[in-house]
Amino acid sequence: MNLLDIRNLSIELISNGKNIIAVDKVSLSMKEGEVRGLVGESGSGKSLLAQAIVAVLDDKWHVHADRFHWRGIDLLRLSMPERKAILSRDIAMIFQEPMACLDPTTTVGEQLAEAIDSSQLSGFFWQKQQQRRKAVIKLLHKVGIKDHSVCIKSYPHQLTEALCQRVMIAIALARRPILLIADEPTAAMENTNQGQIFRLLSSLNQLKNMAILLISHDLENITHWTNTITVMYSGQFVEAGTTEQIFSKAMHPYTQALVDSSPMANQHLPAKSRLMTLPGSIPILQHLPIGCRLGPRCPRAQQDCVKAPSVSNFHGHKVSCHFPLLLSPKAKKSKLQKAKSQKLSKVSND
Amino acid sequence: MTELLKVQALTKSYQQKGYWLNRKRITVLDSVSFTIEAHKTLAIIGETGSGKSTLARLLVGAEPASSGNIYLNGQELKSGSYKHRCQHIRMIFQDSGTTLNPSLTIQELLDEPLKLNTPFNEKKRTELIRMTLQKVGLLGDHMNFYPHMFSGGQKQRISLARAIILQPQVVILDEALASLDPSLRSQMINLLLDLQQQMGLAYILISHNLGIIRHFSDEIMVLSQGKVIECGNTQEIMTKPQHKTTQKLMLNQSFQLRVKNRYKS
Amino acid sequence: MARDKIYLEEIFPSPFMQLWLIFRSTPVAMVGFSCFIFLIILAIFGPVLAPHSAIEGQLNMPLLPPAWHDDGNVSYLLGTDELGRDMLSRLMYGTSLTFGLSFIVVIISLVVGVLIGSLSALTSGVKASFLNHFLDVILSIPSLLLAIIIVAILGPGISNTVWAVVMVLIPQFVHITRYAVKEEFRKDYVLASRLDGAGPFRILSYSILPNIVDRIMSQATLAQSAAILDIATLGFLGLGAQIPLPEWGATLANGLDLFYIAPWTVYLPGLAILFAVVATNLVGEGIRHALKMRKER
Repeated sequence: MNLLDIRNLSIELISNGKNIIAVDKVSLSMKEGEVRGLVGESGSGKSLLAQAIVAVLDDKWHVHADRFHWRGIDLLRLSMPERKAILSRDIAMIFQEPMACLDPTTTVGEQLAEAIDSSQLSGFFWQKQQQRRKAVIKLLHKVGIKDHSVCIKSYPHQLTEALCQRVMIAIALARRPILLIADEPTAAMENTNQGQIFRLLSSLNQLKNMAILLISHDLENITHWTNTITVMYSGQFVEAGTTEQIFSKAMHPYTQALVDSSPMANQHLPAKSRLMTLPGSIPILQHLPIGCRLGPRCPRAQQDCVKAPSVSNFHGHKVSCHFPLLLSPKAKKSKLQKAKSQKLSKVSND
Repeated sequence: MTELLKVQALTKSYQQKGYWLNRKRITVLDSVSFTIEAHKTLAIIGETGSGKSTLARLLVGAEPASSGNIYLNGQELKSGSYKHRCQHIRMIFQDSGTTLNPSLTIQELLDEPLKLNTPFNEKKRTELIRMTLQKVGLLGDHMNFYPHMFSGGQKQRISLARAIILQPQVVILDEALASLDPSLRSQMINLLLDLQQQMGLAYILISHNLGIIRHFSDEIMVLSQGKVIECGNTQEIMTKPQHKTTQKLMLNQSFQLRVKNRYKS
Repeated sequence: MARDKIYLEEIFPSPFMQLWLIFRSTPVAMVGFSCFIFLIILAIFGPVLAPHSAIEGQLNMPLLPPAWHDDGNVSYLLGTDELGRDMLSRLMYGTSLTFGLSFIVVIISLVVGVLIGSLSALTSGVKASFLNHFLDVILSIPSLLLAIIIVAILGPGISNTVWAVVMVLIPQFVHITRYAVKEEFRKDYVLASRLDGAGPFRILSYSILPNIVDRIMSQATLAQSAAILDIATLGFLGLGAQIPLPEWGATLANGLDLFYIAPWTVYLPGLAILFAVVATNLVGEGIRHALKMRKER
């Protein structure tokens, strides 16, 4: 059973009468115990999507979707408070700069103690204090902090970024979530610390069977740790599949460009030669292209690209492009047949 | 190739702020020496606190060195003489948000180094600004815009324009590519390579990203706690690191690289 | 050089223009701003526009109620006081005293405070500490009490009031300027400017001052509302404007004895003070709100 099943989620911003579609019909699904990477550069709407899943967006963003299921429960039929109750129980989120996300005026120990749910404690209220302390120490050990006494008494600014991120993960684990959303957890860290945090997340995934949604703007950084990857560009869904499919058999020109820009793929290039890039830059919210938003930059763009492409599925490898790369003849034939049947059904509907 | 920049025994230490009787002397850089030639790139790597940023600031003249000499084209550079130094060594900063003055237009921003260091009249200055903006891939009309209208990648290009407008010989990139998205990073690297070819620049690249360093630099210098522990050709150091710290740095990156090779084949 | 507009529907405002555009779209701030401008015009042209003299009175028309009462006279629109002086003219003259002087007071203390604050930020160590804190003793005494002390030393009179209130307002500007300048110094563009070879004064005027002007302006409006109240209070206590100057506080004090027979001599100056303070505060709130909105964008 799918943990999270989102189909055609759109997030719109309505301001001054103008309707800006920040996230345009993105589909995402996660199974239990899966580590999925969500890759997109700045402006791709990946943080917006994560915040929409946890339902913490402001009122100025309008979220609608065809399907938004969590463990079989249809969240769209519930009211906001009910939805938030279910989501906050089962999903936890960690953010980018951990030192800025912790309260600077209370010690780490107090913040951890606050995060522990009182339903997990039992007994009379004076016993609860003792149990809370024990639970905090256990949480810190779970995230790999051995000497907990120093950590509990210090304030966030006295710890390093990597330690703060571990504390954030500990706070997230306090409620025993089923899904952990990590919004660029290692953006502010060096390589050695990044490896530590990813290793911790991976061990949590294996030991507790906790699903992780890893959001990042760097494709090659997360390929080692993820099972499946979804790629977004400028609010649109681009490609999704297993890590191997994405990295070695990319079908969308944008994914191919991302793979090409990672230094790992450039190992065989002679030093100090030009890298393969897409021309132009990411469109801003005020001037989004119509149809496929990669259109102005795509080397394979043709007239059809002014219509938004639909998602095609090749054995679990989903891609949203009119002219994908590496299309085998059988896949091309099935695509043509699908297009024909869609046209017929449209005609019969009218 | 003649030496462009030669650094000899550069040291920087300062007194820690504390009680008068209890101040320790902290040595941030300890006798650093290296040379750079034109058309070449030197990469400096090391963990945080190893003195990379301090070295960059010393080279560009933001702080005076405690001892040691810097020679440019054989001439010694004295600290405090900005006017001479800024025409030859320029720097690009990391955080593109605070590196451009938000209340000046781009034209005024780029005019400042020209007004202070060159005798050109206004028409010639505007012409030079337009040419430099086109060189970095922006439009000449962009000079009437304010910094807040540009994206991060464009702001770094403007920073680069500010650095090359005085036709320098050495450009220091202090983690300038770290905050960019991967595709913008590739564009910026292509631009830097083109400029290096056209203008014969020498780059000093301070970065954490070993992939970029492997592609972009000719030589690597490894700093640890202020001392140079290893210095040499990129290929050699990346494949056969000698010192323990270098090995640790390389191991972290190659771990990710080695496993990815599985996917490639 | 002419501005080439590529996209005609977009305008490219400088940060200051952005602040003004946001300010303009807040209706409450615009109401306050128009009242503020009205008061400034009145302060400059009041003595010319006033229908009657504010100092000489018609002794045969004392204590006329305002024109909307049954006994009132339309040529004395807001009534007269006990010496037959027209209230409207007195209030208009008073604007240039209370409001106009408070404006001048704020400008003087702003200039002096910013100078000391910038000097203190440019230096470091004991010199900076001294400059920053030597006026702090002034902060520790309540502003009104300090003004009374200074006037008690120098003697009553409106010019001494001005010096007293200026002294009281300077330390606030010193602190704000010093912290703002220190914060700007940490930014990279100041370093870039320094490396280009700019001297300290050029850095201060081009790189730093344009970016801290908005913070200083919002502090100036706070200082102005305090200054209006201080000048009016000193006038009320008899230590500021002397008879027969029609300063609002003094006029209020004058009418206090006659409150039960001629209440308009008390509430009209009081309303004028209220109006001026509220207008200043609305403008200040508008500036602070616009600063916050601009940062969020």
